[in-house]
Amino acid sequence: MNLLSVRNLRVTFPTDHGPAEVVRGLNLDLGRERLGIVGESGSGKSMTGRAIMGLVPAPGRVTADQLTFDGQDLRDLSEDARRNLRGPAMSMVLQDPKFSLNPVIRIGDQIEEAMAVHGGLGKGARRRRMLDALISVRITDPERVARLYPHEVSGGMGQRVMIAMMVVMEPALMIADEPTSALDVSVRGQVLDILADLVSRRGMGLILISHDLNMVARWCDRILVMYRGEIVEELAAGGLYDAQHPYTRGLVASLPTIDDTRDRLPVLDRSAL
Amino acid sequence: MIHVEDLSVRFKDVRVLHDVSFDVSAGESFALVGESGSGKSTILKALAGQLPAWTGSVAIGGAQSRTPRDRARQVQMVFQDPYGSLHPRRTIDDTLSEPLLIHRLPDRDSRVLSMLDAVGLPRRFRFRLPHQLSGGQRQRVAIARALMLEPPVLLLDEPTSALDVSVQAEILNLLKSLREEKNLTFLLVTHDLPVVSFLCDRLAILNAGRIVETAGSAALRSGTLVSSYGQELFQRSTYG
Repeated sequence: MNLLSVRNLRVTFPTDHGPAEVVRGLNLDLGRERLGIVGESGSGKSMTGRAIMGLVPAPGRVTADQLTFDGQDLRDLSEDARRNLRGPAMSMVLQDPKFSLNPVIRIGDQIEEAMAVHGGLGKGARRRRMLDALISVRITDPERVARLYPHEVSGGMGQRVMIAMMVVMEPALMIADEPTSALDVSVRGQVLDILADLVSRRGMGLILISHDLNMVARWCDRILVMYRGEIVEELAAGGLYDAQHPYTRGLVASLPTIDDTRDRLPVLDRSAL
Repeated sequence: MIHVEDLSVRFKDVRVLHDVSFDVSAGESFALVGESGSGKSTILKALAGQLPAWTGSVAIGGAQSRTPRDRARQVQMVFQDPYGSLHPRRTIDDTLSEPLLIHRLPDRDSRVLSMLDAVGLPRRFRFRLPHQLSGGQRQRVAIARALMLEPPVLLLDEPTSALDVSVQAEILNLLKSLREEKNLTFLLVTHDLPVVSFLCDRLAILNAGRIVETAGSAALRSGTLVSSYGQELFQRSTYG
């Protein structure tokens, strides 16, 4: 059974010129796998992630013919019920740890906070799980890191802390929205390894949202390409260079390569799409 | 055109640059690559006169850096974030005219218009504010601003890493064209090796405040960097 099934998902925002549809009839099925969603700014990829999480800000409106997570129809759930799912069942990693961590709370306390909110564990058990979560994102001295404030750690470490914060609740679905774009190439690999490990070891379903075509192509089991709120193409792992849709092909061509000898890069002709 | 010799920078007890030396000739495009914290942006800051203290010698255009006013005519900088580097409440016209006013240059009107043409922005954008422009358009404004005083040298600090790939291609093409037309010298800081292959003639690889290798772009394209760290960066860039 699919972990997540979405049919005809639409996200609409009212504007002065009438409603603007930013996600237009999107379908997707996710198993225990790594699914990549790529697209440029404004393609609706982040809004898709937020709609699944139930985090589309007002006055945005989300509609779907089907939105099923783990057998539950998300459309019928109250706001409270959705909130109770976020954390233990589904969670989201955002782009920049600098803006997503609370600057005045120690890292360990922040990670424990989610467990305290969702209840069930004593203080000692919470602490042990917090330290385990830090170890699972390859922080070798969790005791020390737990005592630090977010500004005392590097970007890569901050992003690992963010992932630890999600992992600690052991969600079945994780949506990572540009989890590595604020990071160095070297750290990027480590963060992706950690996520891959969580998918294979804990059987998590992962949606990786990114504008980085090469990274997604190398790393995901399956890729959806979004343009103007729609999926224009689905590709198998590593199949980026077999893409057929003119938008995908345009994007691939406009990327410089390490052995590039072209005098000019081809520019995407949007009017032709 | 750019001469850097034994440049060392220390922030309190931490030495962030160790005796960095390199030369960039006129019209050349040179890249500084390395990870965060390798010191590549610090070198740019020293060249732009934004560091209070450093040792060694730095010269642009043959002369030691003189007054800030002179330096502004010699070298200008384009920053990474097109959202943060423009004044949000000044029109494009204000942004582009200000350097001309400060340096008392004539023909402001025609200079602004021809610069808009040069960076491929429609003239009707002249009196708009930054928030009315897309990221790529803003980066074009930032490049135009840097070129208003016609400096021979441009310092580029990750100029395309905040942009979408299709927009990145447009900006990279623009930078390449401008360099050819105006015979500019580029010093580019980036961690993106493919961008170096496309835009630069040579590169220096920095690790922990030291240059570990200086090579031609041909060595980068063919994957024949000599240093082990250079090879490591190459591997990561190609295989992720």
